[in-house]
Parts: sequence; C-alpha cells; structure tokens
Amino acid sequence: MIKDSNVQMAMTFPPLLVVLLLALSTGPLCDAIWLNIPKTGTKCVSEEIHSNVVVLADYVVVSVEDGQTAAIAVKVTSPYGNNLHHSENVTYGRFAFTTEEAGNYLACFWSDNRTRGSGEVVVNIDWKTGIAAKDWESVARKEKLQGVELELRKLEGAVEAIHENLLYLKSREAEMRSTSETTNARVAWFSIMSLGICIVVSGLQVWYLKRFFQKKKLI
Amino acid sequence: MERKWRKIWGLIGLLLLNFVNNVSSLSLTITKVECVYEIVRSEGDIVSGNFVVVDHHIFWSSDHPGIDFSITSPGGDILHNLKGTSGDKFSFKAPRSGLYQFCFHNPLSTPETIALYIHIGHIPNEHNLAKNEHVDPINVKIAELREALEAVTTEQKYLKARDAVHRRTNESTKKRVIGYTVGEYILLTIASVLQVVYIRRLFSKSVGYNRI
Repeated sequence: MIKDSNVQMAMTFPPLLVVLLLALSTGPLCDAIWLNIPKTGTKCVSEEIHSNVVVLADYVVVSVEDGQTAAIAVKVTSPYGNNLHHSENVTYGRFAFTTEEAGNYLACFWSDNRTRGSGEVVVNIDWKTGIAAKDWESVARKEKLQGVELELRKLEGAVEAIHENLLYLKSREAEMRSTSETTNARVAWFSIMSLGICIVVSGLQVWYLKRFFQKKKLI
Repeated sequence: MERKWRKIWGLIGLLLLNFVNNVSSLSLTITKVECVYEIVRSEGDIVSGNFVVVDHHIFWSSDHPGIDFSITSPGGDILHNLKGTSGDKFSFKAPRSGLYQFCFHNPLSTPETIALYIHIGHIPNEHNLAKNEHVDPINVKIAELREALEAVTTEQKYLKARDAVHRRTNESTKKRVIGYTVGEYILLTIASVLQVVYIRRLFSKSVGYNRI
C-alpha cells in the first residue's frame, strides 16, 4: 500500500516540483546581503577560504534609477592575484570556482560611470562557500532521494562540514602553539645574547683604548 | 486522498525550507561607515551572527578604541548598539519581516577589516499557514536540528576569525622580536664604535691641549 501511494505521489509531484523550483530559483532576492556601492571607488568583499572549496556567488543590482537599473563591474581575484572572473557593465551575473590556493579571495564591485545616476547602487550579493554551495538537486536526482531523506542527507553534509572545520581549527591552534613556543625561546636567547654582546663590545672598547693610550705613551 | 495531500504540502513545506536557510559570511573593509542589509522573510525568525575586527593596526598601545556596531530594524528602531568593540556575537528574534541594517562605524582614520557572519534561521510553525494546512512535526524537528547545527557553525566561524586575529598578532610578535633585537645589536655596536672614535679624536688633536 505504501508503494502504491509512493507511485501516485511520484506521478503528481514532478510538475509541482518543477514549478516550485523554477519559481523559487528565479527569484532574485533569495538569500543574500545587500551592499551599497559608492558612486566613485570600489567596494570589495573578501573571505579567507582554504583550498579545494567550491565557491558560488550571484549578484544582482537592486536599485533602480530613472526606470533603469544601474550597471556595475565586477572583478574576482585569487590570493595570488589571478583573475577569476571579470565583467563590466552588467546588472546581474554569477560566478563559480573551486579554490586552488588557501588565502583571501577578493570580489570587487564598482559602479560603471556610463550610467548617469547620482546616488549609490545597491547590489544583492549571494556568496556561498563549501557545503552551502553544494548542488543538492543534482544529488537528489542522482541518488533518487526526496523529502525527509534529502533533508537528512543535507544535515549529514552540515555535520561533516562542522567536523572538518573543527579539525582545521585544531591544526591552526597547533601551529600557533609552536609559533608561540618558538617566539618564547627566541626572546630568552636573544636577551642573553644581547647581554653577551654588550659585555664583549665593552671589553673590546677597553682593550682598544688601553692599547691606544699605551701607544700614545700616556699610560 | 487526505494523506496524499498532507504529504504533498509537507513536501512543499520542506522545499520551501531549502530556500529559507540564510547565511552570509564575508569580510569588509571599513573606512568610515559601512552598512550591510539583509532581508528577513518572516516575523519571528532568529537572526544570529558575529563579527570580528581582523586587521587591528595596533602599533604602540594594546588598547584599540574598536569600532561601533548597530543593528536597525525595518521600522527604524535600533535593536543592538555596541561602541568600541573588537568583535562580538549577537542574536535576536526579528520583531517583523523586512530589511534589517547592520552598520559599522570606524572612529579612526585607518581602514579596518571586519569578518562578518549573519545567519537567519526559520522554524516552520502553525502560525502562518492557512487553516486546513498542517505542519508535519518531522519538518519542525528537522528545522530545529538544522538550526542547532547552524548555531555550531556560527560559533565556529567566530572562532576561526578570532584565530586569524591571534595568528596575526603572533606573527607580528615573532617578526618584532627578531627585527628589534638585531636592530638593538647593531645600534649597540655602532654606539660603542662611535664612542671609541670620539675618544681617539679627543686625544689626537694635540697632546699639549688635553693633558688629562
């Protein structure tokens, strides 16, 4: 009986699902923050990301002036300066990449001067990294999950991400501890060496002056 | 038939849950005032987050005046106001839906970098649905579980940002120890060489002058 109702549901769901997914995925104001881009100058947002992480971002210009949405230019750079995405005079766009190096990834926006607006441009930026950027629809299709199973799979993904983060924090703390211990040892050694250098230099001074005065036949 | 419709609505509710999970984490550079806006979709959502000032340009004193932070609701009330902090956590229940404003103000002239993380959590409840719709208790439980996991993630982001600040301080200390110590040795040597040169000059002008 359960199988029967499952089959029935499977037949009515797809059209509903498709409509709902379309409706919600084309909505521009999904989940994101809004930023003010000044008329002159660039506004940059950055995030420190480690390597092998998927980054997915959407940006949409929200402010409308004189019946026209203003245009902006975007540039995304990796920590080593490579250009990952660059577009000019757009009102919406999306970029996705997998990080290769660990470091600070920077996305800069500036307003394109060709639009004659007088105010600031407001941009809706949706920036997702790691587990939040995972494409659950394709996973659900591939493994034929739906409903509660899919939600639980997402929770499992979230727990794994938490675990990874904890391990990362642990390794960073171990590195920091070793740096602190090195610094501590260095402070001790360098202070003793400084005392030693002081003594050596003053000894040399005294010896040199004594020789000098003896040569001058003053002593 | 009734069960089927309930399941359909349950599934739609679950799908809607997907898109209501709202997180944003990024770093901003603040020169004077920066505001970040976020839309809260339904009243009663819990907005939680944290921010940490990552780039403290401390040179001499260890006391940074910090930056000011405020959260404004769509109605214009200030929900949270902090002055002179170098990082904090915040959490509140949104009194109404709309656009919330998170503003930072930098009292100094040097730009500061801030790592910000905001999470808006929604748990479906009976409140907003029509009379003949029910919320499947398992959806509520899953939403609560998800919110608990997000709370852990939020805390981890805070710890990560603090760790980054601490690391910067440590590396700066390491560089300062080496730099200043070597500088000290060189200065010491130069001072003593200058002393010797001066004394030599005192004595070599003419022996007759300086009979000490």
